[in-house]
Amino acid sequence: MKKAITPYLFVGPHLILFIVFILLPTIYGIYASFTQWNLMNDPQWVGLANYKTILFDTESTFHTQFLNGLKNTLLFVLLSVPLLIVLPLMAAVALQHKYVRAKGLMQSILYVPGLISISAAALIWLLIFNKQLGVTNNIFGSEAAWQATQPYAWIIIIVMTIWGGLGGNLIIYRASLAGVARDLYEAAEIDGAGSYRKFFSITLPSINFPLIYTFVMTTAGAFNVFGQPLMMTDGGPRQSTHVLMMYIRSLAFGHGESIAGMASAMAVLLGIVILIISALQYYVMNRSAR
Amino acid sequence: MKKPFIHALILCFTLMTVLSACSSGNSSKTITFWTPLTGEDGAFMDQLVKNYNATNPEIKVKHVVTADMYTKISTVLSTGKDIPDLAIIHADRVPGFVKQGKLEAMTGIMAAQPELKEENYLPQAWNTGNIDGVQYTVPLDIHSNAMYVNKDLLAKYGVEHWLDDNNVTVDEMLELQGKMEEGQYVVNDALIGWVMLAQIQNLGGDIQVDGKPAVDSDVFRQAYTSVKKIADAGLMTPFGEDGFLMFQSGNVLFSTDGTWSSTAHAAVEGLNLGVTNIYSVSPDKFTNRSSSHLFAMFENEKRADEKEAGIGQFLEFIRQNSMEWAKAGQIVASKQVIESPEYKNYMQSFFTSNDVQTQSLYIYTYEHYPYIQEAVDTYTADLIRGNIDLDETLATMQKFVEDKIAENESSGAK
Repeated sequence: MKKAITPYLFVGPHLILFIVFILLPTIYGIYASFTQWNLMNDPQWVGLANYKTILFDTESTFHTQFLNGLKNTLLFVLLSVPLLIVLPLMAAVALQHKYVRAKGLMQSILYVPGLISISAAALIWLLIFNKQLGVTNNIFGSEAAWQATQPYAWIIIIVMTIWGGLGGNLIIYRASLAGVARDLYEAAEIDGAGSYRKFFSITLPSINFPLIYTFVMTTAGAFNVFGQPLMMTDGGPRQSTHVLMMYIRSLAFGHGESIAGMASAMAVLLGIVILIISALQYYVMNRSAR
Repeated sequence: MKKPFIHALILCFTLMTVLSACSSGNSSKTITFWTPLTGEDGAFMDQLVKNYNATNPEIKVKHVVTADMYTKISTVLSTGKDIPDLAIIHADRVPGFVKQGKLEAMTGIMAAQPELKEENYLPQAWNTGNIDGVQYTVPLDIHSNAMYVNKDLLAKYGVEHWLDDNNVTVDEMLELQGKMEEGQYVVNDALIGWVMLAQIQNLGGDIQVDGKPAVDSDVFRQAYTSVKKIADAGLMTPFGEDGFLMFQSGNVLFSTDGTWSSTAHAAVEGLNLGVTNIYSVSPDKFTNRSSSHLFAMFENEKRADEKEAGIGQFLEFIRQNSMEWAKAGQIVASKQVIESPEYKNYMQSFFTSNDVQTQSLYIYTYEHYPYIQEAVDTYTADLIRGNIDLDETLATMQKFVEDKIAENESSGAK
């Protein structure tokens, strides 16, 4: 009897947390997307009306917000994800080199920013890019008002994102690289392979799965971007860094009465986009890896 | 096999304890008091509550600073559990909550505490909680837009006379076009959305006509066109720069921020600080767009009569003893406090120094005001810098507000 229950007791806590904090809210969120709801009264069922407005009513503010938010979110994903894969990978490979000392310290230095809250990090970066007080303008002589002009507004968001996100993937790559058999490199060296050849023919194929995993997870995370543009640019200039999550949040929990039904519909649509892209990434990468 | 089983049981038990701790019931021996005061003002409110509890009341008050309070209020109201006994809400939230039937009238409390009455408070602050003749709130303060002055810089440019009538006009500001030293400006763009909403009043207009939002209107057009002249003349701090900081570093004549900033500005060494009304597009009228922190009770059948009596005592204590709140830079709503000589030591006393000043504190009470404020905040910075077309943007702003109203009118039926 005990034998039968024990595994469930171990899985239980996670299962309960998953059901309470993820599954039920997700189901309720999907239900809410088919309603008009101000969070206080009972939701009113409106069927597909919210989706119709968001997707097809070109006159509607919600349609404009969704398109602008999705465009900016996609731009963020395109700008940040490749860097969040390539830079940690380069750093991890560099740290593998036998002449590099204090590897643990270097790894910690790169990892610590990820532990700092986005708000605190944003304050630091806003000061760095402050036109009056900032290092960028006073030492490097930049004349840009970073937050208020493009492409600088995107640059500061991406810089902060990379700074905070590099360490997580770096740890995964470091762990995977440690598992690659040394004799493969030795054999390649005997065959006369150079550094690039060894990297592309041994390192990359050996860490194939961690690469797929980090690519999919980083992309899904990037689609949910919220804190960085909110804190660094507040969506400006001219709403060019206003990402979808910011619109969703301001509709549901912003000024005045909540428009939670519409916000839920936008969130569901964002979820579908993430799901499709993640599935595609996984499929393409997994297939090419075989 | 025994050990893992016990470990797993402990794990489950811990989780259940943690989860059950997420919900804490309201005790009948304390008044749970939620406020959205997450900044420094939260500490001043803590002190006020501490002072009240030191009087040994029958039911003590427990102050809970609640980040994202309105979201949490929505949640507890929809579940009916853990509704706070008392809360501080902002003036612009009152019409919405009353429409939803979520606020309890203060009638009983006012009957038990006869000094909690209109005559004892600043009229705007009191009236903002009065809907269709029913009083739903008791005010704590008015927090207003204010224009801070760098007196030394004003003297340097020889324009001290601008302050003679306490109404600095846009035309007066434009006199300094081409006369400012490089890196110095007449005014910054802090809280610029509030400044714009003040101009609507200065021009004799309103944000609504017959209950419908009126953003795409001549008065908005005129207000934006006038304020844009300051930016066009190069007299406003450049777009995207930290105007607040530029004022504190002594390079800007005026800073249009809030009464609560007085302590921060006063702490800057060498800044010869003064305060006046927000600049106006009209020589005949000045307005300081304001809001108010109001004590309110959300509908809760479980709130006992004894607690209501305790809330009444607490509010009466605050009415008499809220000088502490003036330290947070707020205009205290209680007349007993603002008429005392001690209050004159606070910079914000300027705004209640006479009737004309008091009347300049304007609180918007239009039901859909929060949406209009959101639209104004979203587009103003780009509008006054000429980054976007005025007519097109006003139409967009109007649609923005109308779409949001349409959504919640269909979902908000009681």
